[in-house]
Amino acid sequence: MKNPIIEISHLYFSYNGTPVLRDVSLHIREKEFVAFIGPNGGGKTTLIKLLLGLLKPDRGTIRIMGQLPAKVAHRIGYVPQDVSINKSFPISVMDVVLMGRLKSHGWTRISKKDRHAANSALESIEMLEFKNRKIDDLSGGQRERVFIARALATDPDILFLDEPTANIDSQGRTYLYALLKELNKTKTIFVVSHDTMVLSSYVTSVACVNKDVHYHDDAEITEEMLDMGYHCPVELIAHGIPHRILKTHGDNQ
Amino acid sequence: MIEALQFEFMRNAVIAGCFTSLICGVIGSFVVVNRLVFLAGGIAHAAFGGIGIAFFFGIPYMLGTLGFSLIAAMIMTAVVLKNKSRADTFIGILWAVGMATGIILLDMTPGYNVNLMSYLFGSILAVPGSDIGWMIGLSIFTITAAVFFYRGLLAISYDDEFARLRGVPVNLIYFLFIGLVAVSIVIIIRVVGLILVIALLTIPPYIAEKYSRSLAQMMILSTLLAVVFNLSGLWLAYTYNLTSGATIILVAAAAFFFSMIADAVLNKIRPETV
Repeated sequence: MKNPIIEISHLYFSYNGTPVLRDVSLHIREKEFVAFIGPNGGGKTTLIKLLLGLLKPDRGTIRIMGQLPAKVAHRIGYVPQDVSINKSFPISVMDVVLMGRLKSHGWTRISKKDRHAANSALESIEMLEFKNRKIDDLSGGQRERVFIARALATDPDILFLDEPTANIDSQGRTYLYALLKELNKTKTIFVVSHDTMVLSSYVTSVACVNKDVHYHDDAEITEEMLDMGYHCPVELIAHGIPHRILKTHGDNQ
Repeated sequence: MIEALQFEFMRNAVIAGCFTSLICGVIGSFVVVNRLVFLAGGIAHAAFGGIGIAFFFGIPYMLGTLGFSLIAAMIMTAVVLKNKSRADTFIGILWAVGMATGIILLDMTPGYNVNLMSYLFGSILAVPGSDIGWMIGLSIFTITAAVFFYRGLLAISYDDEFARLRGVPVNLIYFLFIGLVAVSIVIIIRVVGLILVIALLTIPPYIAEKYSRSLAQMMILSTLLAVVFNLSGLWLAYTYNLTSGATIILVAAAAFFFSMIADAVLNKIRPETV
């Protein structure tokens, strides 16, 4: 029996008085591959930031490997949603990945070992040849991969990826999910994504996040779950985010 | 210009210009990549309140101005760290309050007759030898801090959220470097005036950013650019008998617009390969 690596109980979080998450309880076992699905604004990114310890819950508790998130942050790899931050910043691909090697008692120096780890992280996502390029010169998809390499360079036990496929074409997506599947052999992985149909062949469980969280210990994404996860006001549907796509797929099945 | 160097004030001006450039290159790069130009402007203007305090209470310039600017800088940093998107309003208010306090206190200072213009535009040709000592000390401290904290500085500037996750003491580095911004501004105002401080903190790093592959390169390149602007501005001011601070600013601004136009032209004629 695998141990629970993440335990959330009765978690509440609001942002400037607006409730974002309410009464969330969740137990995730080691080496799960969890997909967070749900509408934009449903609280997926907020949930990840709470799990990373970047935000503090209003009520309720989060334990990761039995400890507070901030205590184990160094064992977590994180790929943020927005990889275009500071796009014009003069920084090389290598220096971005090396950020993943910083430690609380060693953030002033980069050793040979750190460079080696950064090199292998870049190699694993086939970006090694770009290591001396300026981050500004890369395409959105290439930047995404550099950020994944940065998360891998931390050699994490848990990996959080917030919409990692937003800038990647369909071929790149398949490649990325295959890579995550491989990493899942040793790591617990959380991925926020709208690619519900592609995801279902890789993930081991699904959490529908829309203010509250419904956890399904199964890779199959049913129409019922989508209804629950994406159950949201009419004006959101008008934006046509994932609803239309999902419905059409659902009809064909 | 070479024969002008036989005058002590001219030698001091050249030395002051070079050390100012060094400090501005390192600190200015930090300011520009962190989008702290407005905050630096706020500190520079709030420093004026410190000048007023120094004159009104008759305490030494360095003590009054440095103390006041550091306090203003720390308050601004705390506000920026708490709420980055709303910090600009608060900085704007401190900016104005600092200036107003300075002017009122100078009004109330008996027998006061300091020329306000010298604090706005400074006078690089009237730098006393004692200020050169301050500048050398600050240069050494700034470079040491930048080298020692380089990895952390790079991380918090590029992605502070990720840096925080890695256990980098983000707030400590912010306070330290914004503190250095305040100290730099106070020392350099005396030499070149508060308007030139902001110009030198921003224009060279802004030009350098586009041609640099790393933050370190940006710091070195902006130092070199600042030296060129300072010395050519100084030469023009000396030759044509103009106000040195304003001349240096206009030289830097001319280079800034030239680099913008050159970039636009290069982008046009370059074949569309991207």
